Amino acid sequence: MNPSVYCTIGPFFPAEFSDGCSDLTRNNGKVARGEHILLSGRVLEEGGKPTVNTIVEIWQPDANGIFRHALDPRCGQADPGFFGWGRARTDADGWYRFRTVLPGSYEWEGNMRCPHLNMMVLAIGLTRRLVTTAFFPEDPTNASDLVLDSVSDLAMRARLIAKRDPSADAAGAAGYRFDLILRGAEETPFFVD
Amino acid sequence: MKTAVQPHTGYWPYNDQTQMDRQIPRYPRSFTRVPAHPLTERPLTLTELTGPAGIENRLGVEALDLSHAAPEEPRALGQLILVSGRVMDEDGSPIAGAVIEIWQANSCGKYIHELDRFDAPLDPNFTGQGRLITDFEGRYQFLSVKPGAYPVIESGWWWRPPHIHFSIFGPSWMNRYVTQIFFPGEPLNQIDVLLNGVKDEEARQTLIFEAPPPEMGDVQRIPFHRDFVLRGKRATPELP
Ligand SMILES: [Fe+2]
Repeated sequence: MNPSVYCTIGPFFPAEFSDGCSDLTRNNGKVARGEHILLSGRVLEEGGKPTVNTIVEIWQPDANGIFRHALDPRCGQADPGFFGWGRARTDADGWYRFRTVLPGSYEWEGNMRCPHLNMMVLAIGLTRRLVTTAFFPEDPTNASDLVLDSVSDLAMRARLIAKRDPSADAAGAAGYRFDLILRGAEETPFFVD
Repeated sequence: MKTAVQPHTGYWPYNDQTQMDRQIPRYPRSFTRVPAHPLTERPLTLTELTGPAGIENRLGVEALDLSHAAPEEPRALGQLILVSGRVMDEDGSPIAGAVIEIWQANSCGKYIHELDRFDAPLDPNFTGQGRLITDFEGRYQFLSVKPGAYPVIESGWWWRPPHIHFSIFGPSWMNRYVTQIFFPGEPLNQIDVLLNGVKDEEARQTLIFEAPPPEMGDVQRIPFHRDFVLRGKRATPELP
């Protein structure tokens, strides 16, 4: 059977569906281990215009690079204080904001996946979701990541790396900036889905 | 490891021929938001093959009845409907424990949303949103009222036919799925910019609820049925 047909999320996704979903560092009354970060950015369309009411979802491993999912052989050691999925809705200036942990690296089929988190964008005008991956600037293993390597253009590859943003620091959490430029100059690379 | 097509993962890229067009005339934002640069192929790794298991505990799910704002309150106005179906993978195996988010307009075509500027009344007895989870056979069902049509005021001008929005969490990041399902026999279906953005006739029909069967099991509500096929577990790619 063919997979079902995707359609846009439209303008009226209930605001309540995003409530409380942008903080991944609290789960079951526990606090996530590892380095807490504030990941924020703007979702922009052509002409650098902000997109309002856009839904951004993220999925990532915990600070030790573990997913609480049966396919991860280390699943049993996943951090109970961390939930790897989050959702945020962009505000009037196109900003999304997450509080999460700096993801850990993990080994996959003999290669290291360096610290990263997957992102998807749902918005008016997008009949299909857009998927991409954000990386972090300090990590030395960025040079050999399987997914980062698939973006051959160096300028585009650089756009997949979040920028450290001390102005966004908050109590106990380092700020990182990652803009999602859907179309136009400085366009973010998105992946085949 | 440079190709997105990896048989051992059971996932293949969506076939654009049987999906909605990415850019649709008279849908202006599709021209300012869809990337101009071709999408990049990338290998699938654990981050793509896993997903938020147990999200039902995080988000909360319920036996869903959108036709009641609260059990002790009167029912919402409108035609009562019972929506049901199954969630399965590409091999037809049921997907148990899939969380489904549902939202829709009330019977007048009005959403409870700050951005809805349609001059139609809200119904205090209709919430229009909720979450449920599929059972061990992948089945879901919920009660509601049939949504009304509504105008798209911002971009161009057209009337959206009655439809219900679905957002589904399958087992992985790969099969996270969002869509809208339409009602059979609606004249506005003929002119909907989105529905007709699916060029493949057979694929387009899968965005429409199946018509009520002649033998109607529930005398109180009109049944509508729609199965969903989430991507995954196919050994060979979908034929074009
Ligand atoms: Fe809608």
